[in-house]
Amino acid sequence: MIKLFIRYINLMVITIFALVLLSFMLPFFFPGDLLTNISGITPQSLEQRQALEKAFALNESIFVQFQVYLSNLFAGDWGVSSVSQLNLYDEIAYAFPATLELMLYALFVATFVGIPVGFLSGLKHHNPADMGVVTFSIVGYSFPVFWLALVFITLFCLQLEWLPMSGRIDLLFEVKHITGFVFIDIILSDLNNTKEAIENAFRHAILPTLSISIVTTCLFIRFTRRSIMDVMQKGYIIAAKSRGFTQWQIFIKHSFKNALIPILPILALQISTLVTNAMIVETIFSWPGIGNWLIQAIYQQDYPAIRAGMLVVALFVLTLTITLEFITRAIDPTKDETARAAV
Amino acid sequence: MQRFDLYQEEYHASPLENVWIEFKRSHLAVVGLIFIIIFLLITVLVPIVAPYNPDLQNTNALLLPPAWEASGSVSHLLGTDALGRDVFSRLLYGIRVTLGSSLFIVFVAMIIGVGVGALAGLLSGVRSSIVNHLFDSIMSIPTLLIAIIVVAIMGTGLYNSMFAITLALIPQFIHQTRSFVKEELSKDYVLLDKLDGASSVRIFFTSILPGMFELIVIQATIALSIAILDISALGFLSLGAQNPTIELGQMLSQSLNTAYVAPWLIALPGLVIFMMVLSVNIVGEGLRSALRNRFKH
Repeated sequence: MIKLFIRYINLMVITIFALVLLSFMLPFFFPGDLLTNISGITPQSLEQRQALEKAFALNESIFVQFQVYLSNLFAGDWGVSSVSQLNLYDEIAYAFPATLELMLYALFVATFVGIPVGFLSGLKHHNPADMGVVTFSIVGYSFPVFWLALVFITLFCLQLEWLPMSGRIDLLFEVKHITGFVFIDIILSDLNNTKEAIENAFRHAILPTLSISIVTTCLFIRFTRRSIMDVMQKGYIIAAKSRGFTQWQIFIKHSFKNALIPILPILALQISTLVTNAMIVETIFSWPGIGNWLIQAIYQQDYPAIRAGMLVVALFVLTLTITLEFITRAIDPTKDETARAAV
Repeated sequence: MQRFDLYQEEYHASPLENVWIEFKRSHLAVVGLIFIIIFLLITVLVPIVAPYNPDLQNTNALLLPPAWEASGSVSHLLGTDALGRDVFSRLLYGIRVTLGSSLFIVFVAMIIGVGVGALAGLLSGVRSSIVNHLFDSIMSIPTLLIAIIVVAIMGTGLYNSMFAITLALIPQFIHQTRSFVKEELSKDYVLLDKLDGASSVRIFFTSILPGMFELIVIQATIALSIAILDISALGFLSLGAQNPTIELGQMLSQSLNTAYVAPWLIALPGLVIFMMVLSVNIVGEGLRSALRNRFKH
């Protein structure tokens, strides 16, 4: 166990180091002036240029430059955006929780709808209801997310006018930015109409969450269904049946836990799909998250912002994936490294 | 064992024929296959099939609705866009670019991925561990992020977005191949080859690769549906195909300006992408269950 832990910590450190190294190298590949790519400031005079070059140690060897980059990174000094001249660390701290929030909603829906439905249809497989679920899930994960979001907008916002189209909350509510999570911020910012604000934020969240979660939910349904079907054919289930346990007892004691084990690593793989989908949907619903921010940065060729945003998103995804993988291995020590569940 | 045979010859279907027999049993999968064949035919025969030149502007009929609407016209089956171009022809050309580039991407990713995966599977010890963990880590970086970095360095365009998606698809092939090779290497028939003095390259090509064919095909169908979705998503975000190129996602994003007056311009390209991905997924699913059940009868 401790050996395993050390191995994963080791893996994590190496991966993080590789990412930081990559983000250090990126400005050298971006088109344009290297100094602007690194600092985000276009120098107006020779003195300013020399001062900046000195600050980023551009005349020193590449190792000294890396050292300076590392110390800046850990000090929270990530440079400024070359378009807005705002501090990147603050910008990302503002945008990232919004994305996290959206992903959490989608994961919540996917877990609490997808896994139970998958279990039910897997336990009663090949009856009409199960066929319906299978068909629905195949259709569901074939939707292009951006199209689904647009269809929702035309249907629920333009035609029926039930739900708001963009943003996280109406601008009328003066919610302060404290944690970045809109519901917590509403409660913390002590408004006189907290109830309306929460309702408003909830209505804003419905459509983006739905657009992302349909795909993830359908994948969860399929994995869970397959997994429980495989488990139910195992010898220990037949043994339990022959001892006279009821279906329900077997499910609670044996098949439920065993079916969940192969789902976890797949969940880890789905995180990157979820992030991609969340980033696309953000741009459609003008959700003020990191995806929207990064896409705007690329339209405006804001290279310092791309570098910082890429580092943060990649670090987040990798840390989560490696942690989930570690948990999987820790739960199930018999598991071979290469074994993964089938669809 | 001697058995009583009424007929002299007893026919045993080959494994591939077994797969087809099992695949045919699911009607839905066959329908999906027919759809894929239609899409492939469109990709190849577009200049013959399309009724109009996709760039031809008919200024007398701007934003014409589809033919089944009251104000529609049969001469433009699915209507026209804001510049008076025939939507049906543009959709057909869009299918060509989206599906064609996706197929190409999957093919390239498959060749590279299987090659590197085989190498990683045959390696052992520290080197293998480094290669494995490296690619597993890359696998979890979101496609859109890779695409953003590639676009930032090389600029927008269809070819650059294809490059980014290929990079994102390769690790999955590597992972599958590597774990399959690792598993097979511990089996007895490989040991037999080793005792005969076969080199590891020879073991891979003559013993392991033929058995891996199905795994690769299944992985390729999964990769194809991902590639179609990603190509059109990047086109939609205007990071992929640019204006003169007709690509389904990019068509969708251009019709956003006229979304109020012409909602069908948004509905149709998305519907075509959805149909393509759905038929690929259905065929992949049918193939998977056929492979699973083919020796049961």
